[in-house]
Amino acid sequence: MHLSRHVGPILAFLSVLAAPLAAQNGAVRGQVVDSVTQQGLLGATVLIQGQPRQTATGADGNFTLSDVPPGTVVLKVTRIGYGPQTKSVTITAGATAEARFVLSPQASLLEAVVVTGYGTQRREAITGSVSNVDAAAANVGVKTNVDQMLQGRAAGVDIIQNNGEPGAGMQILIRGGSSISSSNEPLYVIDGVAINNVATQPEGMAAGAPPLPRNPMNLINPGDIASITILKDASASAIYGSRAANGVVLIETKHGTTAGTSTITYDGYVSAASPSKRLDILSGPEYRGFVTQQVGVFVADTALCPTPTPADSVAYKACFGKARGLDPKHLAGLGSSNTDWYRAITRTAVTHNHNLSFSGGSEDTRYRASLNYMNQPGVAIANGLERIQGMLSANHRAFDNRLRLATTVTTSRSNDTYITYENTGGFEGGVFLNMAVFNPTQPVTVTDSTGTHYYESGSSSVRNPVALARQIANVGSTTRTLGNASAEFDLTSGLTAKVALGLDHSSGDRQIYFPNANPLGVSLGGGLAQQASLNNATRTLQTLLTFNRQVGVSSFDVVGGYEYTKFSSNLIGAQGVGFFTDAFGYNNLSVATSKTNWSDAESWRLVSFLSRANYGYKDKYFVTGILRYDGSSKFATGHEWALFPGLSASWKLSQEGFAQSLPFSDLKLRVGYGRIGNPGIPPYQSLIVLQGGTGGSYPWGDASKSGVYPSLNGNPNLKWEQTGEFNVGVDFGLWGNRLAGSAEYYVKNTSDLLEYVSAPAPAQNSLTLVNVGKLHNNGIELTLDALAASRPNLTWRSGLTFAAQRNKVVTLGPFSFVRSGRVSGQGQSDQWAERLLPGQPLGTFYGPVFVGVDTAGKQLFRCGTPSASCVNGRTTSPLANDYAVIGNANPKFTFGFRNQVTFGKFDISALIRGSVGQDVFNNTALVYSTKGNALQDKNFLRPALTDPTGLHEPAIYSSRWVEKASFVRLQNLTVDYALDLPALTRNARSAHLYVSVDNLLVLTGYSGLDPEVSNLNQGSLNPDAGVAARGIDYLSYPRPRTVTGGLRLVF
Amino acid sequence: MKRLFVTTSFGAVALCTLLLAPIQGCTDLTETPPSQITKGNFFRSEGEVLAALAGVYHPLIGTTGEGDYWGSSEVSTDEIVVPTRGQDWYDNGSWLDLHRQTWTATSSATLSYFNNAWNNAFGGVARANVLLDAIKGGSVPNQASIEAEARALRAFYYYTLMDLFGGVPLATTSEIKERPRATRDSIFKFIESELLAVRPDLPLTRTAANNGRFTRGAVDAILASMYINAGVFTKDAGGFSATTYNSCAGINVAGGKTACQAAVDRVDSILNSGVYQLADTFAKNFRADNNLSPENIFVVKFAAATDLGFNMLQRTLHYSQFNPSPWNGFSILAQTYNAFDSLDRRRKVFLVGPQVNVETGQPVEDRAHNPLVFTTTIANVTAATEGEGVRIYKWPADPGHVAQNNGNDFAWFRLSEMYLIKAEAKLDGAAGSSTPLALLRAVRARAFATDTLSAVTLPVILRERLFEFASEGKRRQDLIRFGVYTQPWEFKTGPEGQEPKRVLMPIPQGQIDANPLLNQNTGY
Repeated sequence: MHLSRHVGPILAFLSVLAAPLAAQNGAVRGQVVDSVTQQGLLGATVLIQGQPRQTATGADGNFTLSDVPPGTVVLKVTRIGYGPQTKSVTITAGATAEARFVLSPQASLLEAVVVTGYGTQRREAITGSVSNVDAAAANVGVKTNVDQMLQGRAAGVDIIQNNGEPGAGMQILIRGGSSISSSNEPLYVIDGVAINNVATQPEGMAAGAPPLPRNPMNLINPGDIASITILKDASASAIYGSRAANGVVLIETKHGTTAGTSTITYDGYVSAASPSKRLDILSGPEYRGFVTQQVGVFVADTALCPTPTPADSVAYKACFGKARGLDPKHLAGLGSSNTDWYRAITRTAVTHNHNLSFSGGSEDTRYRASLNYMNQPGVAIANGLERIQGMLSANHRAFDNRLRLATTVTTSRSNDTYITYENTGGFEGGVFLNMAVFNPTQPVTVTDSTGTHYYESGSSSVRNPVALARQIANVGSTTRTLGNASAEFDLTSGLTAKVALGLDHSSGDRQIYFPNANPLGVSLGGGLAQQASLNNATRTLQTLLTFNRQVGVSSFDVVGGYEYTKFSSNLIGAQGVGFFTDAFGYNNLSVATSKTNWSDAESWRLVSFLSRANYGYKDKYFVTGILRYDGSSKFATGHEWALFPGLSASWKLSQEGFAQSLPFSDLKLRVGYGRIGNPGIPPYQSLIVLQGGTGGSYPWGDASKSGVYPSLNGNPNLKWEQTGEFNVGVDFGLWGNRLAGSAEYYVKNTSDLLEYVSAPAPAQNSLTLVNVGKLHNNGIELTLDALAASRPNLTWRSGLTFAAQRNKVVTLGPFSFVRSGRVSGQGQSDQWAERLLPGQPLGTFYGPVFVGVDTAGKQLFRCGTPSASCVNGRTTSPLANDYAVIGNANPKFTFGFRNQVTFGKFDISALIRGSVGQDVFNNTALVYSTKGNALQDKNFLRPALTDPTGLHEPAIYSSRWVEKASFVRLQNLTVDYALDLPALTRNARSAHLYVSVDNLLVLTGYSGLDPEVSNLNQGSLNPDAGVAARGIDYLSYPRPRTVTGGLRLVF
Repeated sequence: MKRLFVTTSFGAVALCTLLLAPIQGCTDLTETPPSQITKGNFFRSEGEVLAALAGVYHPLIGTTGEGDYWGSSEVSTDEIVVPTRGQDWYDNGSWLDLHRQTWTATSSATLSYFNNAWNNAFGGVARANVLLDAIKGGSVPNQASIEAEARALRAFYYYTLMDLFGGVPLATTSEIKERPRATRDSIFKFIESELLAVRPDLPLTRTAANNGRFTRGAVDAILASMYINAGVFTKDAGGFSATTYNSCAGINVAGGKTACQAAVDRVDSILNSGVYQLADTFAKNFRADNNLSPENIFVVKFAAATDLGFNMLQRTLHYSQFNPSPWNGFSILAQTYNAFDSLDRRRKVFLVGPQVNVETGQPVEDRAHNPLVFTTTIANVTAATEGEGVRIYKWPADPGHVAQNNGNDFAWFRLSEMYLIKAEAKLDGAAGSSTPLALLRAVRARAFATDTLSAVTLPVILRERLFEFASEGKRRQDLIRFGVYTQPWEFKTGPEGQEPKRVLMPIPQGQIDANPLLNQNTGY
């Protein structure tokens, strides 16, 4: 009875669903061809406007659309790299209509629909500054993460890999960065869910400072990426509000797209990498020769000077310091070997990478699954990255496409093996440091009565680098799962509701053991083991309403939503010191004589309301407005909430009558302004909290009394760091878009900078996080795409990106300067390479001005005020007011130039990147090209041999070590050959074989290993580590040159 | 646009309410730190209050640090120099800046060492203020004595600040705000009145388990030191002499006494307490078990545990003399070493000549595999060799050390200093039992088999203080009181180091930037 009441409507509903099947429909079929080659085009999208029906062309360019209701329809064909085309076709019931499309190639390889955050937009409706990167073209050579794919391909996006370590972190500056001590990392959004871009493994410990963390984006296999969009200006990125200050990188992963057919893809490569350049250290014979020669000219002070009476007589002291050469006792430090320590710790590393994916499904249900395995050993011994990663996505639509469900799960496991090296500081324990200084006349191993073991000098400040790499265990692993699910329902025509859930969970471990077998392990207390585990979780809920409608000549595209994100992390660690055996490694802390452990937890929340409206008039004028209202628990009560607006407009001039006489096939003017925020600081900074641990403990009696101390001052006025940005751009196309591009100019002002500054004493913490200071950025960006040649059998596409950017610290509030960029190396404590100075850019080198070396081998510096030590404007010991600005780490401009030539079955692509006008502080040369190292039986860099600086002169930071570091790099060269496959297998749809070389050539005048150096401590909140230091080169992990051979098969 | 925003947001909120409100609330941003404590939920039991009190003691460790109060008071004098050895210890020229007294408000010694000393001491003041604010009016067990300890510690931190910088901002609440400098005299009076006020609430002695916590003796010792230095401590820059002795005579302090007499009274209070006596050997005061020394009145406690240990020997010993490897830095000036009588047993705190590993006793080599020999002289302070310079080894290695953490306590005030303060005050006209000669001979009895000292004058006192307290952080204070801090000495010969302004350190520029109410010291 009750049942029957429901059966009627259900039947009625089912009959509606079934209606199209029952009716008598027609079909349309045809071919899409290239206007130049007249060859069929694979993969063109063919759709019927206003209907949900679409298909893609096959290899021969043919397509068929069946079940089309009778009537006149408009067919639209689009394909990347070609101009779109529409055509009216009349469908007759029971018949098949024919349609042929001839598409003209264009310069740009961009999709017609762009992901802009919380939805998509038609490219022509975009009013802000948005860059796209062609994911397929960028994924050449060895790419382990998405960041590497962006290098040199988007104007104004400056990406530097920290070093050549596999999986190394990247430092990304979009339009110069907007912050001094807060994060400068962009926001990554994967399939609509923002990623919490924090370290996923507990920090390691090394004898010096721990190395920089690895790249969190190692999670996503580049082979799974379908598209990358970068929101550069605030009028576009304001939709991400508080987290958008450094730009937004939107990543869409691949989903099942083909209906009816299934696709299987295999993509694999093997590559060989070796260091592209080596440090120029003395060989064994050279070092021996130097020591012998210096011993030959040895004259001791005592031989020159009279017997002192009294011991500290003025005459005696005046006489002293004129000694020459090396004491003959240094001959005892010479061995009989000739070890190339650089060779001993580097190798040719062979990487394997295999991707397998398959996708398919029906019209309503589609899936894609992929699996990736990668094993990348480092070019230095005993380290590398191994990753296994899987991804599963499914889409389903129901109720005549009114309900759309999607879910994606990615999970990856990466195993990292580390060697100890330091990016800063420390003078013990680093592999690269010891590679530079370890005596080359000594062997790697020796055999004596106790067997064969590593040679150690017995000196405590140098260690055998091979032994350090081999004996110290330092491994990490991360398991990270990213899942999201969404349901989208069309409420009425054009109005859609969407609910999405996202989870990003990572669990990372770190295990370290310094064995007794190594002298470093002994000095750390007789073996030191550490185990730590870090868990991060981010949960996101999004609810969105979108509205799309065309009313006459007006188009509306509106999205509004709510987003709730909760972040939490949990750390636990334990350490044991003092092991009677190395047999346990890090696996049995309980046997250690001294044990410590620690744990930590934190959480924070972000709540947002957002909306964006785009209005178009006659497809000629577009206006976009954005409002986002964000609340973050990191900020002080009363300051949690902030409004982030964006407003932009565009005018498509090429649609105007007066523009028809111009040569432009496309011309668009864009203007926009927006305001965005930066919350990249730790939570709880607005509270006065009591912290436990060693900072609060004190021994009473003989036992330590565990105590607490107020660790934060609690700033009750802590609020957002805000960036306002104005952007004006012009997009143009010439000669039927065979040449296309855009030019942009922007001005960006950041105020209320979050900075740790000295608090007025007394304060619980001498530093307080406050909003103080202003930063100014401006710049121009140019992007050009050209179809240089398009003939049957030959297509040549060229792309150029160019960016010039200037930044300036406008004010630091009450502070006259902030020191930054600690100088690394022995004897360099409390030396800072850079200063933040009002009126100067971030990355301003500040120090004494080097003017030469005197006849006694003393370094001379410019000085101002004449005094006993300052004669003729020269001094050997510069004072504080002799310091000056001695360099700028920012390039005058950067560029990327890419070419792709398809010639018959060959496809050749090349990417050249360059950066011009920047200075780099060669910290490596400062510390290791000092021949005084021989006084400690340490090796040094070859340039010191011909340097007039005296043997006894310490390494003094000055303008001498700040070098011009402009460079042009041939980043990648790839030759791809399309195999004629039927001979191989009947089923393959395409097969490509390629050879690719990464980092083939670098042209530079810079004398160090590589002119491209990481921006140390970028985004660091630890003021002791220095803030916003840029352009410091210190003993980095060598960058490899990599040759790759690969195969891509599609079945 | 705004309406659109409101409408869509309204829709979104409706959805949110449906999906989320039952779980968490749509816009709730209250966050409680899971692994830290907020002030409101603490200080409820004696255990919690004592934990916070341990936190107030912690900055005492920093007063002995490499470049903080201790380093600033030793390396800027004729006792210790940190020579540049090849690459090692150049450190932006900061050690030479310190020793040569060429510092300015922004020079390397100031930005590092003076700034650390400032931050460390004011951190202690702030911690004390947070604790005192939080327990005010409370009633945890032993409330009065805990408050007394926190106030006494705060007074000691102010003592180090007043000594280095003169007048500083005076704060007795935890509010962080810009405060002007108080005069040095008012800081002196504040320390004095605080110590006198809390003295009755402190115990005379502590149990072994509480060794190191404040006692009445510690209060008396700080006061005695204040009074003997009253000729300097009650005067702002220019008010006392950089080149002649600054006597405590003629300065009135609490209770209407002269400072010299008050110093003698405080010393007598310690001597008559029956708690302290001179150790029978000098070495007992410095060994790892020096918590048992009957002579130590106020110490910084150290333990052989990570981050809680004493690491003086790292700074002084050669790389191969200890494990972990020391840093081969701080050296004693030849003139200071040579000033010691060769018969004075206290000279044994110095290492000269062929060297051994201090743990194993085995001879050690330098990095070139030659026997390591420490020489008396340092020929070139900017290019010293590994073995140059006498080393101080007053605090011998702790056999139970954990890495560089040794358990030797560092005494700020030992009973022998009370003898010397009394002798000096009596030379300055104070009344009291014993003669200066008898007092000095009492201290010297363990140093000499036969003591030949026959007369005591002020210069004799200064020399005796050098012999007794070498490397104990007293030298700068003594040299200033005696008016000889700006005289030239080995490696400090330039005109900068002879300027009268050197008797006060400059306020680090960053501190003035942070608090514009601070005036710089005269001359900087």
